[in-house]
Order: sequence, then C-alpha cells, then structure tokens
Amino acid sequence: MRGMQLSLNKTQKLRLERALEQLESLSSKSNSDASVTVADNISVNCEDAILKGHGTTELDGHVVATLCGVVERVNKLVYVRALRARYKPEIGDIIVGRVIEVAPKCWRLEINFSQDAVLMLSSMNLPNGIQRRRTAIDELNMRSIFEENDVICAEVRGFQHDGCLHLQARSQKYGKLERGQLLTINPYLVKKRKQHFHYLEQYGIDLILGCNGYVWVGEHVEVKDPMLVEDQLNKSEQPIADSENSMSSADEVDTCTPLETRENICRTANAIRVLSALGFVVTVEVILAVVNLSTSLSLDIHEMLGPEFYVLVAEKEAERRSSLGKKR
Amino acid sequence: MVGLSLGEKNFIKGGIAQDIRTDGRKRLTYRPIFVETGVIPQASGSARVKMGATDVIASVKGRGGEELSVELSTALQRCLLGGKSGAGAGIDLSSLSIVEGKVCWDIYIDGLVVSSDGNLLDALGAAVKAALSNTAIPKVEVTANASSEEQPEVDVSDEEFLQFDTTGVPVIITLTKVGSHYIVDATPEEESQMSSAVSISVNSQGRICGLTKRGGAGLDPSIILDMISVAKHVSDQLFNKLDSEIAAAEACDDE
Repeated sequence: MRGMQLSLNKTQKLRLERALEQLESLSSKSNSDASVTVADNISVNCEDAILKGHGTTELDGHVVATLCGVVERVNKLVYVRALRARYKPEIGDIIVGRVIEVAPKCWRLEINFSQDAVLMLSSMNLPNGIQRRRTAIDELNMRSIFEENDVICAEVRGFQHDGCLHLQARSQKYGKLERGQLLTINPYLVKKRKQHFHYLEQYGIDLILGCNGYVWVGEHVEVKDPMLVEDQLNKSEQPIADSENSMSSADEVDTCTPLETRENICRTANAIRVLSALGFVVTVEVILAVVNLSTSLSLDIHEMLGPEFYVLVAEKEAERRSSLGKKR
Repeated sequence: MVGLSLGEKNFIKGGIAQDIRTDGRKRLTYRPIFVETGVIPQASGSARVKMGATDVIASVKGRGGEELSVELSTALQRCLLGGKSGAGAGIDLSSLSIVEGKVCWDIYIDGLVVSSDGNLLDALGAAVKAALSNTAIPKVEVTANASSEEQPEVDVSDEEFLQFDTTGVPVIITLTKVGSHYIVDATPEEESQMSSAVSISVNSQGRICGLTKRGGAGLDPSIILDMISVAKHVSDQLFNKLDSEIAAAEACDDE
C-alpha cells in the first residue's frame, strides 16, 4: 500500500478502507499466533533442545524474535520469516534479469538482489544448439548473443563459495526476451510455484513471473527445439535455415506487434501494476481475474490505473478470499 | 534510469505508432493529476501536483527564495512572463502594485521537484498555477498623509487577504516527438526515445505565451506549427481538469 498516489474521493476512500479491513480480518484468523514483532517472546517448549534459526536470539533464557514476521517451525528448528524481505534466491528459481555488463566468458545481470548475478558462457546454449567446448571465437561473439541492457530469463544454478550467484539458461524456454515490457514489483508478491512461465492463449501473450520481482509481459514466442529442427532438415537445406535465422532479428525490428496483442499486453501489465500497488500476491489466476474484471466493465486500458478501478479490485479480492474461506 | 533493450525500445516506439502506449494511454492522454494546495503554511500560497510518480511542489512568497535549475527557470519565466514588452503575460503585474509608482509586492515563485517520473515542466506549470490560485496577498493599508516625496507608510494587514486572479495564468504542455507521432505526458522510458520535445505554454483564451524546444533533432517549421495546434487542442482538456482539481483541493483545504 505504499506509494499510492491517487486522489480518491470520500466514498472511494471509505470503500477501500472497508475492503482492506475485511482482508485483514480474513488473514489474521489463520496465523495471528505466529506473527511476531521485534523483541517478542517465541513460545518454545523448554524441554526440547531447539535450534535457534534466522531472526531469533537468546535473551534471558527466552527465545526472542529480532525480525517482524511469522514464526516457522521445522522439526527442531525455529526461525522467523520476514514478510517483506529482499529477494532471497534459491536454486531452481526462475528469474528475469537485465544484462549490465559483458565480461570475459560471462554476462553480469542485474536481478534486484544485493549483488549482480553471473551467467557463464558455458551455461548458455549456442545458437546452433550444438554442444561443444566454447572457443575464443565464441567469447568474441558473446555480444551477438546478449548485449548490454537486454532482458533475459534464466534459472538459478547455485551459489559460488564467494557468495556470487550463478545462473543457467540451458533450455530453450530461457533466453532473450523481446517484444514486450518489463515490470518491477516487490519480490515478496511473487510466491514460488511450479510454473512461472504462462502462456495466456486467449490473449496470445507470454507472462513470466520472475521470483525476483521482475515480471515480463510480452508477445507469445514459439519455443522451438533446435535439435528437432536440425533432424528434420536435410543437409542441403541447412544453409537456408542459417540465413533465415540471421534475417529474423532484422525483421523483428520492422514487424509490429498486432494491435490486439498490444492491447492485451497493456491490459495485463496494468493489472499487475494495480495488484502490486495494492500489495496483493501476484499469481496468474488473480491477474486473469483482474483483466476479466476490466474487460467486463469495458474500461479503457489507461483507466485501469485510475482510483475507481483500484477500489474495485480491492473489493473483488476481499470477496474472492472470503468466498474461499467459506468453502473450506 | 536503467537502460532499455532493443526489444523494449521497439515495443515503446511501436506502441506510440499504434496509439497504445505501455500503460494503455492514447498519445494525447495525461496521467491522473492530483493537486493539493496549502502544503507549505509559511508561504503565501503553495501547491503540490502529482502526475503519476512525478511529484512537484510550488510555493509563492513575498520575499526570499532559492535558485531553480537554469533550464527549468528560464522555461518557466518565458512561459509565465511573456515577451520583453510584457505583452501576453500570464500574471497581471498591475494587480501587485500597492502605491502607484512607489511600492509594490514582489512575487517569488519557487518550485521543488520531489520525484521525477517524466514530464517535469507540465507538472511544474500546473503546480505554479495551483499555488498562485492558493496565494493570499495580505491587504495593505496606506496611511494617507504621506507626501509624494517620502516613502509612504504601509500597514500590512494580518487578517484580510486578497486572492490572486489566476484566470490568465497559462499552463505548460510538453509534446514529445517519437518517430512521426507526438505524445503528451511522457514517462522517462518514452522520453529516452524522443527525437525532440517542444514545450508550449497556452492560456485559457488559447493564446501562446511561450515556447521552448529541447532535443537534438532539427524540426521542420510546419511540424512546429502542427504541434502548436495539437497543444492548443489538448490545453482545453487540461484546463478543465486542472481547474476542477484545484477547486476540489481548495474545497478540501477549507474544511
């Protein structure tokens, strides 16, 4: 709810406050016991030898919280998980980042973390899909793959011993993202799920929810497996395929995104902006619900960023969560 | 401002060409404008204007002031004070005189940029207009027995105030040229793609009070005339919007 810069009139303010109160009352029933603030005592059974994890400390024989958050218990480990934290990378996270430097044998990416992530040349598929040792010529041609300021989707491979974050982009679904827009939201609004790549068929757009808070909304790109393509082509056709690949980047500059796809991209992007300003968790279902709400009200796309729509989205979300609660 | 990849730049340019910008606005649509008056109690008048994430504060005082940045201040000066002869000026300077030919009020207008998200000049112009409409100049009593040579004695009233007349104050509209189209209220990403930008100040009678061109690319004179006519057309909507917002803000303030 920070940074809301809208002029709500009196009725809108009342409605928004009521919706937010309703949401608060729904959530606090489930975990009011677990929420702690700094210097709260964490109730532990003194008989067990418990492990004090992140966010806790021992004070006068009591286990006391040092963060504001929710207490989590796993076997003998007790720790406090902060609700609004900086992005904390884990292995296997899908992230979206921007290249800020082309370094020897690797690219440095900015991913909304305290450090820059590193994508090694060896963790990246070569354009032809062939597996071979990267030579000096590959290193010199790094810029033809990714340049500065390119937006890239990758996966977290792991941490190095010096704390540096390494990424890999070995599959076809990772790589450069073009023809779309990148949005920045708070990282804690993107929860870890099984799927982060979403293809919204009825709109024809790709939606990538990066765990680091960078969300990509763009035109749908068909994921082609180059190994499959190579098997299908016989040797005489290969030179033609290569020339087609080199032409495609020049073509992309000229071909425009179709109008309807562009409208859908902007609508989805605005839905994400509204949700992030209201502080709601961003998932595909919620985004689709907001987009459907805006189309059902036949709002102009830019009116989605107006005060009336904010209040409507908050009310809708309160309704949805209360109905979810009743079903259980 | 972070850089933009080639794909994103093409997306922005394509959007402007197709009349759907990245947040869904049309080329000539402004972001929602939020006006708050009376934010600085020590000043004679003040206003805060928010357009999206751009946040500016303008204050009007009877004395004192700090320096504005040179480009913004010259642009504002040109737009508000009109030409050298004083023709077409936004503020009626004669309303500021206390004693003919001797004593008058000096108005100092200061602008402060709290956060910039593109389109600073427009926001500053709107803030200055709102601050001037919020300005209350103390009423001054002139003691009658002063002879024409001496300095007349004046009694500045603390209770009674005169409202400033702001119907003549113009508003600034910045048109950013991207490709072959113009947009108003550009975000920083859109401004990074511009070839040139023309800021035109128009008053409510539809007359041009000032003109500034920024950007490296040269412009054909016919394009400038075209931009002026587009600005006049946009200014009608902006005046209505601003007047209603200022009135609402003043009403809030009074409560």
